[in-house]
Amino acid sequence: MDHLHKLARQQWLIPAIPLAAAAIQSLLPRSAKKLSAGLCLMAMGISCLFALRAFFATLGHAEVVRAVWNFTWFDYGTVSFKLGFILDPLTAAMAAMVTFVGFWIFVNATGYMHDDENFTRFFCFLSLFAAAMLGLVVSNNILLLFMCWELVGLCSYLLIGFWFHKPSAAAACKKAFITTRIGDVGFFLGILMLFWKTGTLNLYTAEGTGALQRVGELLGPGWFGWSVATTIAVLLFIGAMGKSAQFPLHVWLPDAMEGPTPVSALIHAATMVAAGVFMVGRMFPLFIAGGSLEHPTFAMDMVLYVGAFTALFSATIAVAQFDIKRVLAYSTCSQLGFMVMALGAGGLVPGQFHLLTHAFFKALLFLGSGCVIIGTHHEQDMRKMGGLRKYMPITFVCYLIGMLALAGVPPFAGFFSKDEVLLVTFQRSKLAWGMATFAAFLTAFYMTRQMFMVFAGKWRGGDHGAAHGHGGHEPHEVPWNMWLPIAVLSLFAIGLGFFGGKYAHYLGAEEEELSGKALVMGLSVTVGTLGILLGWFLYGRKPLAHASDPDPLESKLGGLFTCLNRKWYVDEFYEATIIRATMVGGTLFRVIDKRLVDGILHSIVWIVRGISQVCRWVGDEFFINGGFDAGCQTVRGSGWLMSKLQSGRVQNYFRILGLGTIILLVVYFLK
Amino acid sequence: MNYLTLFRALAPEVILLLAAFVALTFDLLLQHSHELQQRMRIAGVFAIVGLLGAIVLLIQQAPVTLLGGTLVVNQLTVIFKIVVVALTVLTVIISIEYPVGRHVGEYFATVLFGAIGMMLLVSAEELITVFVALELTSLSLYILTAFHKGALRSQEAAVKYFMFGAISSAFLLFGMSYLYGVTGSTNLREIAVAIQATGSTPLLVVALLFILVGFGFKVAVVPFHLWAPDAYEGAPTPVTAFIATGSKVASFFVLTKFVMLSFAGMPGSAFWKHLTPGWTMLLALMAVASMVLGNLAAIVQHNVKRMLAYSSIAHAGYIFVGLLAASVTGATSVFFYVIVYALTNLGAFGVVTALSERVGGDDLEHFDGMAKRAPFLSLLMLIFILSLAGVPPLGGFFGKFYLFMAAVERDSVNFGLLWLVIIGIAMSAVSLYYYLILLKHMYVHKARNEERLKTPVYLNLTLAAVAIAVIYLGLNPQPLLALLKNFVAQL
Repeated sequence: MDHLHKLARQQWLIPAIPLAAAAIQSLLPRSAKKLSAGLCLMAMGISCLFALRAFFATLGHAEVVRAVWNFTWFDYGTVSFKLGFILDPLTAAMAAMVTFVGFWIFVNATGYMHDDENFTRFFCFLSLFAAAMLGLVVSNNILLLFMCWELVGLCSYLLIGFWFHKPSAAAACKKAFITTRIGDVGFFLGILMLFWKTGTLNLYTAEGTGALQRVGELLGPGWFGWSVATTIAVLLFIGAMGKSAQFPLHVWLPDAMEGPTPVSALIHAATMVAAGVFMVGRMFPLFIAGGSLEHPTFAMDMVLYVGAFTALFSATIAVAQFDIKRVLAYSTCSQLGFMVMALGAGGLVPGQFHLLTHAFFKALLFLGSGCVIIGTHHEQDMRKMGGLRKYMPITFVCYLIGMLALAGVPPFAGFFSKDEVLLVTFQRSKLAWGMATFAAFLTAFYMTRQMFMVFAGKWRGGDHGAAHGHGGHEPHEVPWNMWLPIAVLSLFAIGLGFFGGKYAHYLGAEEEELSGKALVMGLSVTVGTLGILLGWFLYGRKPLAHASDPDPLESKLGGLFTCLNRKWYVDEFYEATIIRATMVGGTLFRVIDKRLVDGILHSIVWIVRGISQVCRWVGDEFFINGGFDAGCQTVRGSGWLMSKLQSGRVQNYFRILGLGTIILLVVYFLK
Repeated sequence: MNYLTLFRALAPEVILLLAAFVALTFDLLLQHSHELQQRMRIAGVFAIVGLLGAIVLLIQQAPVTLLGGTLVVNQLTVIFKIVVVALTVLTVIISIEYPVGRHVGEYFATVLFGAIGMMLLVSAEELITVFVALELTSLSLYILTAFHKGALRSQEAAVKYFMFGAISSAFLLFGMSYLYGVTGSTNLREIAVAIQATGSTPLLVVALLFILVGFGFKVAVVPFHLWAPDAYEGAPTPVTAFIATGSKVASFFVLTKFVMLSFAGMPGSAFWKHLTPGWTMLLALMAVASMVLGNLAAIVQHNVKRMLAYSSIAHAGYIFVGLLAASVTGATSVFFYVIVYALTNLGAFGVVTALSERVGGDDLEHFDGMAKRAPFLSLLMLIFILSLAGVPPLGGFFGKFYLFMAAVERDSVNFGLLWLVIIGIAMSAVSLYYYLILLKHMYVHKARNEERLKTPVYLNLTLAAVAIAVIYLGLNPQPLLALLKNFVAQL
């Protein structure tokens, strides 16, 4: 344990190293591309070593280990603001994943962003993001966690809008920032309430006085008849909903695909969006406080059904998208729904395990789609692809592995983790389980659809290219620094699933025999297979011949397909209700501001001017010199008056000194 | 008490004295054989070696009381002496490139004499010693102010500074003699006991007031501030830095000792509507006058050094607000703020030194477009100026926050001191205006001459280190605060 405490003291290094790199990078000139990328990779590599060292140190203990290091940031009177870092399995595994996956995504980004003129700035943002994300992971203090949480939000904003000259990117980054901010209001209220009720923001302390170690005291009545703990948990979960793109705050994530693809892989698939899930996991004691499997708290029910609904809802949308990255984006929403649902069912371990496996294979898929986009000269529409298996064999194999993992085909990683998610949900709620199983079926289907559209058949890009006069570019395989990362990640997408049992033990779950194991597993394999078969039936037998051919599914579903393609019109709904209402309110306030507030201000100005006029009429030189005609002028004028004291004549100085002394003396004795 | 103990306790001061003599002698020897620039470097290095040696000795010093309580060495005084010496090191570093004329050895020796005076001032706990130390400091500073031999402005400033200082010293000495006459002691702690016993008498009031006049001159509060703008503007810029930082740190330290220790028996009250005679009331009046006048007058200045002079008058006002809280937190916040403020100001004057020499002046117009011409130093200036303005997360913000919190906390029921805090905050807002004017000149205005300015690397690095310290004290104030708070009890 001493060793662990020593490591806990060094946890701060994990975010500090990328932070230092970001600071240096921000000073580099634009031309220092290699240096910037090198610093970024080196910092991430070193962080990764630290994270892995911490990770291995937490392995092999009989029970869950937790070491914290808290220190006083500053204190004032009796209030003491403490911060701290933590080392426990949850953190160690997450930090190892973020640094490892992040490192390979950075490698890929050196290829993807190769020709960008703002390459240096891009890597500076990446380093900053890594620092913030890792800070979030190793924080033992909810306020520090929140600060890092906001910082990753800022980085996400900066990176989505990296190509800010594109109006769509500029709009997308604002949308992401504002939507997640709505959730953050809830999060912040939760933090305030936690501080109010416990008087501390540190989660764990060695003495057992941390906020999470005292949830037993939080079972008194809170809002709406919930307990305090449940109230805080619900508020915190609203924050997680924004960050992890859960319905109804999911709308920003698909638009976030406007950013460069490595950003999508890192931030909007593997790490940042998982921060919400991680946070719920970190604060899990609050969610379960006062409940049981039979009588779960409201917070747990909310988490469960929000997750299940998002999983299904997003999966249906993913079915009808044509943009290769949008399919993956909705798939991410859906998979995050799976994780959240697992947490809501009380399954901390399956939820976090699915987070880890998903991070690997979704990063793989996104980077793969980045390779495809580069290989096809910035084409994102799947209808204009096709036949890439021939041109990009390495990408194809890796992508196939990622797709099988996501579709839940044994023995790939996704199968194991999704299976555990479904199993734990099955114990809690048959309804949620049914929704999730159907979502799993859709997942297998839309991934198969994507595979066939992108990689099978013949190259359809020529149709489009010829029309625009720059045709003839055949797709090509990407350079090594782009395919190597996906190759590495695909190894994990294959093998990671086998560690599920070990991970459960690692996170401290007790061995228990869950009922219905065979049924759940059998059904999930069956729906997966059915989804793939259906995908083959619709898209594989007779691949699209031309980019303009209708989607086979479209002719089957008709109007419903359009509805799915337009994402159930959620954006339009928001546009017509919330945004319209805000605009109306804004206009209203502007009118009030212009007419009422400005009116009052103007009348004050007129009154002051009037007074000043009166003063002039009565011939008061002082007021005119002081300058009453405008607020600033008054201050400036009095400054001038003050500096007149400074005549430069030393005799006058002495007069003022003597006068000052006498005034002080008089005041003293008169008082 | 044997002389060896005395020598050991004063070893840091002694080593500075030696360094001063060495610098003086060596420069005399090299006078004819070496270029001016080389002589500056050699003498500067001697001074720095001496100062670093003093820091090493200071760190190892054990607490001791000398000569029956005349000089005291304890953790708190050691911290402040280290701060003074560190500020002197920085002053010397920014002086090396500055043309102070032919008398190189004398210049550095005088700086070191001034530093010795400040160190003794920190240690002194007896009236005569305080006065002598204060005079040693002041006389060194008068001489240094006049070092711009060619510039009439420098001579004029020195004469004014000296005359004003002489009058103030007369007040101080007069007050001290009354204090001795009434209490029968020159030891600050014994005086405290005597005043507790007698309470306030008219003669004591005169003593208190006159002593405050003397220190009011040193720390430049209204109405005893009049020398500051002239002296700041006229003195060679490194000397201005020294006056504005090292001398202030020492003076505030000893002033705090005087009011919180010796005059603890007649505090009075500065609470709103409950003003009662006493030192807190006097400080409150001076604080208000300084905050208002300093900030308003700074707005209309065209010269950067003059502007910083008025800004330092305003800062003295803020510090008084913390001081008149008359509590442990108040004293802690004053000490913290003084240190942060001195570092920030030294950095700002350092940048002004480096740049004004190369553009030929220190008016606001000379700084036009500086961000393009000297981007690195401009960045540092941005940090220093924002810290002076009290923008988080820089050190200046935390310092001000603590000062005002100490005042609010003093009476957390009726918030009697809140009126001072409100004035302070309102005036801070005003101060942002003139600070931003300087930054506007540097970052927005177009330069008349686009040529890049080359500044020596060692200077850039030193100032960068100061900037990092300012940022660090803002991000992590706790270590220094805890340290000060622990030792304030020893006051």
